[in-house]
Amino acid sequence: MALVELKGIVKRFGGVVALNGVDLTLVPGEAHALLGENGAGKSTLIRVMTGAIVPDEGSITVGGTTCRFTHPAQASAAGIAAVYQEPMIYPHLSVLENIFAGAEMTGRFGIVRRGAMAAVVRPLLEQLDLPASLLVRRMSSLSIGFQQMVLITKALMLNAGVIIFDEPTSILSQAETDRLFVIIERLRRDGRAIVYITHRLDEIRRIASRVTVLTDGRVSGTALTSDLDEAKLLTLMAGKASRDYGKPLRDRAAPAHGTPALRMAGLTRAGAYQNVDWDVPAGQVTGVYGLVGSGRSEVALAAFGALRPERGTIALEGRPIAPRDPAEAIRLGIGYLPEDRKLQGIFATKPLEANLTAGTIGRFLARGGRLDFAGLRGEALRLIGYYRIKARDETIGIGTLSGGNQQKALFARWAGQSLKVLILDEPTRGIDIGTKAEIHDFIRDLAAGGLAVVVISSDLPEVLAVSDRIIVMRRGGVVGVAEGEAMNAEAILASAVGADARAA
Amino acid sequence: MHASGFDRTRPLLLAAMAVLALAGFAIGHPDILSGANFDSMAVFGVEIGMIALGQTLVISGGDSGIDLSVGAIAGLAQVVLGRLLHADVAWPLAVAVTLGAGLGLGAINALAVTWLRIAPIIATLATLFGYAGLALVLSGGTNIDLTQQSSWFLALGQGHVLGLPFQLIVLYLPLLAMFAFLQHGTFYGRALYLTGTNDRAAALAGLRVGRLRGAAYVLCGLTATIAGIVGAARLGTTRPDAGMNDNLISIAIVVLGGTGIFGGTGSVVGTALATVVIAIVDYGLSYNDFNPIYQAGVIGVILIGVILVENPVLARRARRLK
Amino acid sequence: MSAAVMGAPKVPRLRLPQGHEALLLITLAVLVAGIGMFSHGAFWSRINLDNLFVSSAITLIPAIGMTVVILTGGIDVSTGSMLGLTAAIGGSCFAAGWSLAATVPVFLLTGAGLGLVNAVLIIKGKIPPVIATLGTLSIYRMIVFIVLGSNWITQIPPVLTRVFVVDHALWLPVVALIALGFVIVASLFLRYFRWGRHVYALGNNEEAARLAGIRPERIKLAAYVMLGLLTGFAALLTLGQSPMVQTSTGSGFVLQVIAAVVLGGTSLSGGRGTMAGTLLGTLVVQVVDDGIVLLHIQPFWNGVALGVIILAAIGLSSRRDAGGM
Repeated sequence: MALVELKGIVKRFGGVVALNGVDLTLVPGEAHALLGENGAGKSTLIRVMTGAIVPDEGSITVGGTTCRFTHPAQASAAGIAAVYQEPMIYPHLSVLENIFAGAEMTGRFGIVRRGAMAAVVRPLLEQLDLPASLLVRRMSSLSIGFQQMVLITKALMLNAGVIIFDEPTSILSQAETDRLFVIIERLRRDGRAIVYITHRLDEIRRIASRVTVLTDGRVSGTALTSDLDEAKLLTLMAGKASRDYGKPLRDRAAPAHGTPALRMAGLTRAGAYQNVDWDVPAGQVTGVYGLVGSGRSEVALAAFGALRPERGTIALEGRPIAPRDPAEAIRLGIGYLPEDRKLQGIFATKPLEANLTAGTIGRFLARGGRLDFAGLRGEALRLIGYYRIKARDETIGIGTLSGGNQQKALFARWAGQSLKVLILDEPTRGIDIGTKAEIHDFIRDLAAGGLAVVVISSDLPEVLAVSDRIIVMRRGGVVGVAEGEAMNAEAILASAVGADARAA
Repeated sequence: MHASGFDRTRPLLLAAMAVLALAGFAIGHPDILSGANFDSMAVFGVEIGMIALGQTLVISGGDSGIDLSVGAIAGLAQVVLGRLLHADVAWPLAVAVTLGAGLGLGAINALAVTWLRIAPIIATLATLFGYAGLALVLSGGTNIDLTQQSSWFLALGQGHVLGLPFQLIVLYLPLLAMFAFLQHGTFYGRALYLTGTNDRAAALAGLRVGRLRGAAYVLCGLTATIAGIVGAARLGTTRPDAGMNDNLISIAIVVLGGTGIFGGTGSVVGTALATVVIAIVDYGLSYNDFNPIYQAGVIGVILIGVILVENPVLARRARRLK
Repeated sequence: MSAAVMGAPKVPRLRLPQGHEALLLITLAVLVAGIGMFSHGAFWSRINLDNLFVSSAITLIPAIGMTVVILTGGIDVSTGSMLGLTAAIGGSCFAAGWSLAATVPVFLLTGAGLGLVNAVLIIKGKIPPVIATLGTLSIYRMIVFIVLGSNWITQIPPVLTRVFVVDHALWLPVVALIALGFVIVASLFLRYFRWGRHVYALGNNEEAARLAGIRPERIKLAAYVMLGLLTGFAALLTLGQSPMVQTSTGSGFVLQVIAAVVLGGTSLSGGRGTMAGTLLGTLVVQVVDDGIVLLHIQPFWNGVALGVIILAAIGLSSRRDAGGM
């Protein structure tokens, strides 16, 4: 297999520079871990490697030959394959067809030669310890773990020299993860280059011999895993854990006493979370930190009435509640700002005012059910001013605003309502530093005003900067609550990635 | 920009089309501009226009919302009314019961779409079958004569107020005003627009998406029923297949009027203007002895033409948003 | 299906989902048994069965094309008007004295051409399929009127009726055999040929399919044109069943076709469905129709029955799929 080198990759999207001169060398037979925060550029880099996007500058060399991928098929031909977290599949087709879609082996007249295809695939399945009976199963009937295995099989079929794994284990069980690692090891020994994107410390040690860290679109460090001890690795991953956002860290509130504003106990939902306890006191910011797939959003949605738990209790200010839909949760005083603002948050083609008042329309009704436009407009302007949303006026479409301003608008939507608990899910994802800091200020202000605020985030520095206490989740369970002295980056990261459970 | 996504270009375009159409027909037959002809135009426009009002709400609710059964509801409503009148039920009561039935028919559509979660095309296709069939069953396949009914009743479709058709002044215009108010000036309207734009975000913002959309189907059933009642009064007879063409025409009017087929935009005001255009075109065609089939065909051409012209414009606008 | 694949070890066929077809078979069996009983055996008479098979065949042939169109995620509601227009144009040729050999291609080409128009509007014009075909529905109907005026065409060569309807082979009217043949070919195509599998891939995940090198536009184009072609052929067969063309020929036909396909388990969102399902769906639709006549139920109940059946069948499977939020 060939050496793959990326040199000086630059990619811009509009005004944002996603990759700013990235160099990466993939050595055959080596497993290379790629780390980085959200927004650091990992996904973009992967997409460049697989030919899904074309870099603005830089080169990709495979075995000494410079390549230019304008279509994923070319990257496949060059032997580069990727296995994503959320596999792109054909749900109602069989496994065999998922592997061969678009590249079926055909005989005369275009008849698909299923037998021949199966014969080609079967030894690959054996390599991966998969039963041949898998071939006829419908793809959607497989667990995500097995679906990934199918995609790996596809990569093997392409005789991929480079296989990229994008956080594959975040939704896998322990058993599935172990199996995956066995496979990866075999692939590596076959002489393929493995790129492994992860946040998990234990996995880095198990899998990778080299580590590269991406920060803000640039390589901020690369080393052999053997040269790094645990502490150094943690620091590398935690990055600028003590980075401040230009404001001194607030005085953390003392541990609260009395009935918490929101208490969830024993919450369980198969496949998402188990035995989760959250105590969320009023007047404080409770951070919830964990890697993707740790179940944080699902737990939050339980309180919000959007995803009902199978077991457990939820209590609001001591009273048991069981909201059946978000409307009811809001009526009770619980708000939730979704992770994905584009798909679940904003009404992109609607004016800013409509977006800001989407939750409070009922408050602006005059006699006869008439909308009080002056009132709506006034509220919108008030929120725009208070949250310093950069928009010409309240009538422009929210889709034209920057990500940061959109997020502020969503924040304002909630802040304008009378709530007891507000859950923010990744409130500063994909936003510039300046706006991040502003939002952190807003969060602190809300808590200071008596609201119980929950901030779910995978950005460790953010969680540390903003929270009074931090709930740490891992694989659907709460592994710890950090307060006071225990709130430091290394300790939290350690429990989130399971450094302490490494012996398992 | 307006919360409804309604901008000024579409109404201007429609107004221009209306004028053009009228002028075009007038060149051939100047007497088309007579009062009597306007009267007939208006009368036709009212019935199809009322159906289109309800359809506007359904389509703007998003998620491929559509009601293919509107014509069948109009027909079934006529038949129900006819049977009641023939059973010597007093006409105000008969009308009231028929309206109730219409709400029920709309409610069935609502349940099929929001509770059974059947795709609206299929659900309303099925109810189209069902309602049309019921209309035939209840009427025995024949028309029910209503010419002996109270003249107050017949005035619903044949009367005049201030020289203009009763159903236009007393029914359509107030209904239009109410729907416009509903869409642009009430909680429901605002919530429906948001739902049509992004139903996931709407649900997470606390809006009850199922109820909002369901209500649109119920209202659509109501407007179709009113149209059916007026039609029966106008002709003095009930026809079980009264509304068969109206399905297509109502959708054409709504789309022509600026309501995006995917929901979240558009206004009944646009629908009303489009109704005027279609009424003119339709009437002009029949005035020149073109038969209803031509009318439908021309409407088909207009519908496709408008979207073909509009798509590049929309695409450019979307690119600018990125 | 026996088609042994190139002497390689057999890979067992894909298990059909949800036993939807089993449900249909049971429904069909119940219906047939019930109708057979209540009609005092009239259902089983030669005449009735022949009628049933002929009608089923005429619905089934376009339904095959419709299935493929819906599998790709589209839809076509103009089929009825296409049938009418093809019949009108072809019928005019007959009336003008053209021979059978010359006219049959006219039916097929016209159908394919009309399907092509739909395809271009949808693919190039980017008009949502429902809207585009609602538009062509009325445009085609208008052209029928232009072609026919208010005349009827009755000069249909009786050989059509003789060959397709009267003649039997294997106890079935020829037209039914033809339809069955088409279903088998279509089923084999979808199941065993590369382009057939691409149809499913496209319907399952258009994005992934495009990235995998499949060309969605081509497949969709072929689907709509094929539907047109099959509809053209069905028009020819219709003239065998009832040798005249009026302006209303084909009106309402599309509802039956779509009902048959959807009942057969093909999902409107694409990617899921089988020809066997469409066959069964067609039979259910036609048996209901037939039963209503035989049992002297007012024919008007047909629509109601069909509506209820569709709602029940799809409602049940929809609610099962819908699940949580």
